[in-house]
Amino acid sequence: MAAIDVTRDASSLRTGAVSRSRKRRDRIATAAMWGAFAAAALPLAFILFYVVRAGMHLFSYDFLITNIPIISSQPGPGMAPAVVGTLLITGTATLIAVPLGVLGALYLNEYGKQRPLANLIRLMTDVMSGVPSIVMGLFIYTIWVLRYGLSAFAGALALACLMLPIIVRTSEEMLRLVPANLREASAALGSRTWRTTVRVVVPAALPGIVSGAMLAVARAAGETAPLLFTIGLVSKPNTKLFGANTALSAQIFRNAQVPFPAAQQRAWAAALTLIVLVFLLTLASRVITARFARK
Amino acid sequence: MNQASLAEQRTGGRIADQAFRLLTLLAGLTILVVLVLIAFTTVNNALPAFRHSGLSFLTSREWIPNEGKFGALPFIYGTAVIAVIAVMLAVPVSVGIALFVTEVAPRRMRSSVVSVMDLLAVIPSVVFGLWGILVLAPSIASVYNSVSDAVEPVPVFTTVFNHTQTGRSYFTAGLILALMITPIITSITREVFATVPRNDKDGALALGATRWEMVKGVVFPHSIGGMVGATMLGLGRAMGETIAVALVIGSTPHIVGNLFASGDAMPAVIANEFGEASGVHRAALIGLGVALFAITVLVNVSARFVVRRIDVRLRGLA
Amino acid sequence: MKTRQFVRIGALVIAGAILTAACSSKDAPNSGSATKNTDDTVKGLSVDYTKLSATLNASGSTFQAALEEAAISAFQEQAAKVTVNYAGGGSGKGKTDLQGKVVDFAGSDSLIKPEDVAKYQGGAVLYFPIAAAPITLAYQLDGVDKLQLSPDTIAKIFQAQITKWDDDAIKTDNPGATLPSTPIIVVHRSDGSGTTSNFTGFLTKAAPTTWTLGKGDTVNWPASPAGNGNQGVAQLIGNGTGTLKGSNGAIGYVDFADAKATNLKIASIKNAAGKFVAPSLAGVSAALDATTPNADLTYDPLNAAGDTTYPIATPTWILVYKNQTDKAKGEALKGYLNFLLTDGQALNESVNFAKLPTAYRTKAIAQLNSIVIPS
Repeated sequence: MAAIDVTRDASSLRTGAVSRSRKRRDRIATAAMWGAFAAAALPLAFILFYVVRAGMHLFSYDFLITNIPIISSQPGPGMAPAVVGTLLITGTATLIAVPLGVLGALYLNEYGKQRPLANLIRLMTDVMSGVPSIVMGLFIYTIWVLRYGLSAFAGALALACLMLPIIVRTSEEMLRLVPANLREASAALGSRTWRTTVRVVVPAALPGIVSGAMLAVARAAGETAPLLFTIGLVSKPNTKLFGANTALSAQIFRNAQVPFPAAQQRAWAAALTLIVLVFLLTLASRVITARFARK
Repeated sequence: MNQASLAEQRTGGRIADQAFRLLTLLAGLTILVVLVLIAFTTVNNALPAFRHSGLSFLTSREWIPNEGKFGALPFIYGTAVIAVIAVMLAVPVSVGIALFVTEVAPRRMRSSVVSVMDLLAVIPSVVFGLWGILVLAPSIASVYNSVSDAVEPVPVFTTVFNHTQTGRSYFTAGLILALMITPIITSITREVFATVPRNDKDGALALGATRWEMVKGVVFPHSIGGMVGATMLGLGRAMGETIAVALVIGSTPHIVGNLFASGDAMPAVIANEFGEASGVHRAALIGLGVALFAITVLVNVSARFVVRRIDVRLRGLA
Repeated sequence: MKTRQFVRIGALVIAGAILTAACSSKDAPNSGSATKNTDDTVKGLSVDYTKLSATLNASGSTFQAALEEAAISAFQEQAAKVTVNYAGGGSGKGKTDLQGKVVDFAGSDSLIKPEDVAKYQGGAVLYFPIAAAPITLAYQLDGVDKLQLSPDTIAKIFQAQITKWDDDAIKTDNPGATLPSTPIIVVHRSDGSGTTSNFTGFLTKAAPTTWTLGKGDTVNWPASPAGNGNQGVAQLIGNGTGTLKGSNGAIGYVDFADAKATNLKIASIKNAAGKFVAPSLAGVSAALDATTPNADLTYDPLNAAGDTTYPIATPTWILVYKNQTDKAKGEALKGYLNFLLTDGQALNESVNFAKLPTAYRTKAIAQLNSIVIPS
C-alpha cells in the first residue's frame, strides 16, 4: 500500500472549509518565511560576491608569496607573511588544543563519568566557552607576552584557549555516541579499558572528533581579537615560533582602518584568502563526517 | 591461549591502563587549571581598578582615563543596546528560516538552505567588520538620515532614530551582529522544530488547520523553550563579539537614545584602548573584560534556567 | 547530499563573482625603487650598515608612520640583515610597550609624563627627534575649497560650541566666503595619541581662555565619532570619492602626510603673528628655527613666533632605552637612528615631513654616543 502523505491529503480536505482570511494569513505567513530566507541569504550572497570581486583584483599565487609592502600606501600584492603566520599560529594552536582536548574528553567520558571532578571539569569547560575572545588575548598578554615577548607561540596559546572548550565538548559528545555494547564486547574479549578505548572507542568516534576539531580550527583561523596584543607585526614571513609575526585576520583588521586604496585592496584579497581557507576546512570536515560516519 | 600468558597479558596491561588513565586525568586537570588560571589572573589584574573606583566602576557614566575616572556604564549600555538590536533583527529571521526549512521548503531545497546557513556561519567576524566599515557604514548613512527625516513628526521615534554622523553607529553594529548570530539561532531552532512529534502536526492539519495555524498551535508551543534558549545563546554571542563591532560602532563613549549615533561597547573599547593603557587604566579595561564575562555567563545560565522552567511548565518534565 | 550542495553553492558563488570581476589583470608588484638620496649636511657616526644584524620591533606614533615606512624601506636596502617592524598604534601604545620592554623602540609625538617615568622597566629613556610636520585641520565640505580658521574657532568647534559650518565665528575667519549650513561632524582619536597631545597643546597655548579640555594623549572630548590612528581619522573625514567617501561636514586633526595621501581638504590656521598660514613644510621649518631644543632634545614648536610659521608644527621622536641589554639589537638601533639623522633625512620631504634643522641633528647625533651597548 502506498504511504499516505497526510499533509498533502489533508490539504485537499482543507480547501472547501477554510475561510478567506485564514487562507490569507497562511499565505502571508508562508511569504514571510520565504522573506526570512531571503533576508539572510541576500546579505550573505552580497557580502561574498563583494569580497570575491574586490579580492580578485589582487588574489593570485603571487599574492600569497609576495611580502607585505612596507609602505602601506604602495599598491601591489603581498600577504605572504600573513599566510605563513595564520598557518603557523593556527597549526600550533591545533597541536596544543586537540590532543589536550581529546584526552580530556576521554577522561570525562570513559573514566570520570559522573564523578564530582569530572562534573567540575565539564562545568568549567562550559564556562570557558563563554569567555570573550579578547579576554583570552589579555590573559596570554599578561602571563606570557610581558615575560617572553610577542610571538606566534603566544598567539597560538591564546587560540588554543579558545579552541579547547569546543574540542572537549564535541569530542565528548562523539564518544558518548559510541554504543555501550561496543565497549562491553571488547571488555568481554579480555581487553583492558585503555585498550578498549584506544582500539575500539576512539576509532568509532574518530570521524566525529576530527570533523569537530576541524570546525574549531576553522573558527580559530578567523579569530582576530586574541592576536591583537600577542603577535606584533612583520612584513616578511617569519616561520619561527618566536619573534613577532602577523596573521591574515590581524592584517585585515589593520588595513580596514586605513584610507589608502592600495592597503584596502590587500585587505579584500586577504579576506578572500581567509574565506577560502575556512571554507576548505569546513568542507573537509563535512566530507569526513559524510564519508566515514556511516558504517 | 594458556592461562599463564593470559595472566601475563592482564598484569602487563594493568600498568598501561593506569598510565593511560593518568594521562587522561592529567589532560582533564590541565583544562581545569587553565580556566582557574584565567579567572584568577584576570580578576587579580582587574582589582586595582575596582579598588580605585569602587562601585562607581559600574554606575558612573564618565570614562576619562586621563583624569582617572573609569565608569563603565556607557560600554555596558552600548553592549546591551547592540545585542538587543541584533537579537530583535535576528530572531524573527532565524525562526522564519527554521520554519521555512522544516515546513515550507520543497524537500530538494532544504539542504541548499541549510548549506547557505552553514556558509554564513563560518565567515570570520573580521570579514564582516571589513565589509561593514568600508561598504555598509558609508552607504547606510544616507538611509539613516532619510529614516530620521521621515519619522521627525513622531516624538518617541525622533529620539531613537535621529541623524547619524558617519554611518558608524549602534544600529550598524547591531545589523552586522544580526547577520552573524542568525546561523546559530537558526540551527538550534531548526533542531528544536524537528523534534515536534509528527503526530501532533498531522493531527492539527487533519482537523482542518492551515499550515500557519498548525505552526502557531503545535510547533511554537512545543518549541518555546528551545527558541528562548537559542535566542539567549545568540544574545550571549552578540555581546562578546569584538572585532566587527569595534570597526563599525564609532568609538564614542556616551549614553544616548539615538540608535543612529556612534557609540561604544565593552569588547570594542578593550580592543581600542588596551594597547596604550597602563596602570589603573589597564586594570579598568581588564575589569571590563571580567564584567563582560560575568554578564555572558549570567545570560547563559539564565537561559538554561528559563528553558528548564518553560519545559517543566509546558510539558510536565520534572 | 549536504556536502555536494555545499560545494555546489560555494562554487556557484565564486564562479559568479569571477565572471563579474571588473579587473582582469592583477597589479604588477611595485619595484619600490627608492632614489638613492643622500644627505651630507651633517656628519653622522661612521657605521657599517651591512654588518648590523638584528630584528627590531617597534610601535607608537601613527603621526610618523609614513616616515618610518619610507625610512625602514630605504634602511633595509643598506642594512640587509636588519629587519625593523613598526607597528604603529598611537604614541600611547608605543610608550606602554616600551615600558614593558615589549618593543625595542617607540615612536612618540608626546613626552613621558613625570609620574610615568618609574614604569619604564629598562631605566632611563632617551629622546631622538627625527622630523617635524604640520598637524592639519582636515575637512570635507561640499563647495568649500578654501578655509581659514583661528585657534578660538577651532577650540569652539572641538568643544561642540559651534555646530554648523555657517556659524558666525567661522564666517568671521573667512570674510566673503559662502558657507553651507551643514552640521559639523567632529572626528577625534579613539586611541592614546601624541597627535592629540600636540593639537590640544596648541589650543592650550593659542586659545587659553576658550579651550577648557586641557592637554594630553587623550582628553575628554564631547561625544563625536572617533578613528583609530591618524589614518583612521583620515578615513572618517574622507574626500567624498569612491572608497574614501567619509562624511560631508566632517573635520578632524590629521598629520600632513596622511591628509595629502588621502586628498583631504586642509585649512589655513592663524598663527601667533595673526597671519593665516597654510600647512607646509616651510612653515614647520620656520617654527623649528624659532625654537630651541632642551638638553634632552625635547622641544615645543607649537604656536611659535614669526610671520611664516605654521602654528601647529608638531615634533616627533623615537624613544629608546639608554642602557641596551642586547649587543646586536643595540648596534642595529644605533645604526638605524644614525641613518634617520643623516641619509634618512633626505627622505623626509618626499613623504611630507620637514627635515630637522642642522642644530637639532648635530645634538641628536652626539646623543647617540650616550647609548650604552654591552660588549
